[in-house]
Amino acid sequence: MKRFLKLLRKDLEASRLPVFFLAGITLILMAVLRWRIAQGAWHPQVSVLGVAVPLTFFPLWLIWRSFQTLRAEWREDTVYTLLVLPVPGWQVLLAKLAGLLVEYSVLFAATVGGTFLFFGGLMDELWEVIPGPWWLAWNALWVYVTGAFVLATLAIHVQLAFVVSKMVGRLQGLVALWVLFLSTWLTDRAALLLEPLFRWLPTIRLHEFLQLTRFDEGIILEWQPAGQIGAAFATVGLLFLTGLLFERFLEING
Amino acid sequence: MNAAEPVLVVHNLRKKYPKVEALKGISLSLPQGEIWGLLGPNGSGKSTLLKCVAGLVRPDGGEIAILGTPPSRASKAQIAFVPEVESLYRWMTVRQVLEFTSAFYDDWQKDSEEELLEFMRLDPRAKVSTLSKGMRARLRLVLALARRAPLILLDEPFSGIDPSSRDRIVEGIVRQFKGEEQTIIISTHAVGDTEQLFDAVVFLHEGSIILQGSAEELRASRGKSINDLFKEVFA
Repeated sequence: MKRFLKLLRKDLEASRLPVFFLAGITLILMAVLRWRIAQGAWHPQVSVLGVAVPLTFFPLWLIWRSFQTLRAEWREDTVYTLLVLPVPGWQVLLAKLAGLLVEYSVLFAATVGGTFLFFGGLMDELWEVIPGPWWLAWNALWVYVTGAFVLATLAIHVQLAFVVSKMVGRLQGLVALWVLFLSTWLTDRAALLLEPLFRWLPTIRLHEFLQLTRFDEGIILEWQPAGQIGAAFATVGLLFLTGLLFERFLEING
Repeated sequence: MNAAEPVLVVHNLRKKYPKVEALKGISLSLPQGEIWGLLGPNGSGKSTLLKCVAGLVRPDGGEIAILGTPPSRASKAQIAFVPEVESLYRWMTVRQVLEFTSAFYDDWQKDSEEELLEFMRLDPRAKVSTLSKGMRARLRLVLALARRAPLILLDEPFSGIDPSSRDRIVEGIVRQFKGEEQTIIISTHAVGDTEQLFDAVVFLHEGSIILQGSAEELRASRGKSINDLFKEVFA
């Protein structure tokens, strides 16, 4: 555990500057928008931009980071340090994944916090419709958790694609793309195969779980998680496969 | 560790890259307690051999045994490998580099670390990115010598650094070498001032061993220094 935490801390330290820079830029953007709206220079609807820009950019940034955190190890030759450490490969990759999720959490908090801080006063109509702040907090939590799962899944696929691409001498970009498609397809197939094992799980009545009925009685939203649980197991399997390839089959020929 | 057991045994090791055969059936057996010089010009296969032992390159054939076991996660804990390239995290301070590395090795010696830092004249608060090339080379050596690793692999530790740093490194190796329990392999193509270090040498050329033996015996039998022998062999 101590070794894993060292790896995680290293990745967090390495990403601290860009993440806090992005979070800061987001808050500054929101503050400027709010200031211009308060001055009457811009229409209040422009405030949507303050949320839409980070919500569009951050997912792309985080997917790029899942690739970049590994690429940087090769570019700066620090992969030599990583590969001679007596730790399982999956720990190295999991530390990078955990670091990525911390980045996601900081950016999510900056976006949500900034939205309430700067634009909360402009959302009177919204407050009238929403059952209460606790409802918003509860749903924001599940949006966060869902986003974290989606990001983790994508990052694991990207890690596999990157590591496999480093195992070939040529056409590394094409190989990475091919592996990305193949691993997605394989996960889909594995999820279908594993799905019957989890059919015993109850269907979750999301409209009750997320208390959407307080918003509108007519909303019905149900989710049978068997397929997604199967996909999650397959994805975890991919993480260990990537760890194995990283630890035992990668070569450094530079 | 059994005193009679070789630290490293390499048998018929082969490695082929797409355009070159880097190792053509290398066989070696290294006892403990010696410093070996792996000598040869650029492209002779020195780095590939060390990387194979460190587990960074997979051989195409042959066998490697480190204290009796093939390269694995467990053997990585027995080896201190200093690559030729700059493998340090440049945003870390010297202290952070030491703390990060020491967390992974049970054989890390805090007292040796402090002694080496002082001897190598490294400021623990300095960022790696601000260190000169010679200082970074010295720091990488600290990472290897602060451990009680049975096998230390130094890949071109004197390459491209100033004479004063080179002297410090040579002296550091002599001071910290734990003779009875360690074996050091130093690959280099600049024999000159470093030949005093070697108990034994291996001459590597185009992936094959062309000469090997005790440094003292070679000097006596050939009537010349290892440096002169190196010049003669690779002329």
